[in-house]
Amino acid sequence: MGFLTFIARNILGRPARTALTVAGLGVGIAAVMMLTGISRGFERAMSAIYEARGIDLIVVRAGISDQLSSNLDEKLGATIREVPGVAAVAPSLMDAVSFEEANLASVLANGWEPGSLLMKGLRILDGRPLREGDGRDVLLGRVLALNLGKKVGDAAAIAGEDFRVVGVYESDSLFENGGLVVPLRELQRMMGREGMVTGLVVAASPGADPKALGEAIEARVGGVAAVPARDYVRSNVQLRLARAMAGATTAVALALGSIGLLNTMAMAVFERTGEIGLLRALGWKRRRIITLLMGEAAAIGVLGAAAGWLLAVAGMRALMLSPTARGFIDPSLAPAAFALGLGMGALLAILGGLYPAFRASRLEPTEALRHD
Amino acid sequence: MTDHAESNVPLLRAEGLVKTYPDGDVRAVRGASVAVAAGEFVAVTGPSGCGKSTLLHLLGGLDRPDAGEVSFRGEPLSRMDLDAFRARRLGFVFQSFHLIPTLTAVENVQVPMFESDLPRPRRAGRARELLEVVGLSHRAGHLPRRLSVGERQRVAIARALANEPALLLADEPTGNLDSSTQAEVLDLLARLRAERGLTLLVVTHGDEVARAADRVVRMKDGRIVEA
Repeated sequence: MGFLTFIARNILGRPARTALTVAGLGVGIAAVMMLTGISRGFERAMSAIYEARGIDLIVVRAGISDQLSSNLDEKLGATIREVPGVAAVAPSLMDAVSFEEANLASVLANGWEPGSLLMKGLRILDGRPLREGDGRDVLLGRVLALNLGKKVGDAAAIAGEDFRVVGVYESDSLFENGGLVVPLRELQRMMGREGMVTGLVVAASPGADPKALGEAIEARVGGVAAVPARDYVRSNVQLRLARAMAGATTAVALALGSIGLLNTMAMAVFERTGEIGLLRALGWKRRRIITLLMGEAAAIGVLGAAAGWLLAVAGMRALMLSPTARGFIDPSLAPAAFALGLGMGALLAILGGLYPAFRASRLEPTEALRHD
Repeated sequence: MTDHAESNVPLLRAEGLVKTYPDGDVRAVRGASVAVAAGEFVAVTGPSGCGKSTLLHLLGGLDRPDAGEVSFRGEPLSRMDLDAFRARRLGFVFQSFHLIPTLTAVENVQVPMFESDLPRPRRAGRARELLEVVGLSHRAGHLPRRLSVGERQRVAIARALANEPALLLADEPTGNLDSSTQAEVLDLLARLRAERGLTLLVVTHGDEVARAADRVVRMKDGRIVEA
């Protein structure tokens, strides 16, 4: 019998307690993996909006926390186009609409000019792109078309108005796949924001430094913030909230997991005081006792991480069944999320196992043997 | 140390042992001295609470005396690594067997071997040999809960022999057994002593054990009153 067999026997010989501890750890680890995965998925989806189109700067109202609350005169686009280093500018109006019949809330609605820089990132899967002169015509993202059960030629009611589906597109951004695009003029009219946009996207000329270009735009146009796309994504309020939630959940899961494992290992040591006394009586050195108990804690940590992986994958798939999450959440978990789960399992094992293992090693054999 | 000198030195000697427990200020052992020769079978008897088990723990290096000294083959335990001493020189048998419930009989026998030089691949084979010695080779794969109390005690005896000790210390080894199983265990201990030259020191309440011993050490109120 090897040492690992001994550890395995101790864990598998007490299946109920092991299963409960592993389940407890697994839930905490899964929660952290899911939240981290969701926040990273948001970041990937937002970055994809800009990267696929070669957009270097986002221009919004200075001091706003969210592009949806930004309000700019679309004529600023012409002023910005004159700034040296600007290759292209495209206005964008963003809003959120709901499709109650499909139980979909907060679907991203983009108002773009046909043929603009923003349209470049869309791959038309069916139908055609928007054209000059289009009115109540809409492009549906692939996921939204699936969720609504609509295809090219169908009618779609958007914010109480009838539109005709002229195309279905796919984008590198999950947000856009769950959203729709209508002509800018139509969205401005529908939302009562004629002549206004929520932001302007800017492509820099080759060799231009986006940061310096942003400063030049801000100097030329007062009251706006011209933010490099990467910084804009990172400072996005929803992303920051998601990251903060993931961070807080990690801290809570670590605390609860450590306490849970500490409790389990302390109980294991208490229940097995006689057994540990026996091992000491048979000449086992203190460090071997610590190794045994830490080995058991590590094995429970690894099993907890594996349970966390399974729960996280299942949880992400379950989230996709929710109409509000569908189309906005990337169900795939990056390898980093799995590494995070394993790391948490290992850390919890160390935190939870160390004190009980050390305490057990200090037991005097005679005192421990009297316990039984 | 020469062979001649070694032959004159008792296997185990205790001089003026005192042990006081802090809880209640109980003096469990009060100046006990005893010597056990190699190959001898010594029974320690006396009423409950007279200090028999405490004496056994001190002799076996499970506890340290407040005063006095225990020597093994002339070497004081106070200068030894007690973990190594217990692992390699002694075998322990307890009244309540203390088998590990999650390990099979053959795995329980291997537990002391972790602190021996026996290579891992040979441990299982040696454990099976020992189970055969105690007549339990057919129960090697059973967990303790599937064994009778007599079988459990025989597994515990096999475990005590794992590292080929010179001295076997037993604390009420027949205390939880019925009379026929007691006789089986006593026969087994006698056979092991004869075949392996084991030295036995057994703490007991039982007259049967005392009758089987070469010598009886009687204790009363923490003192040895008859050696």
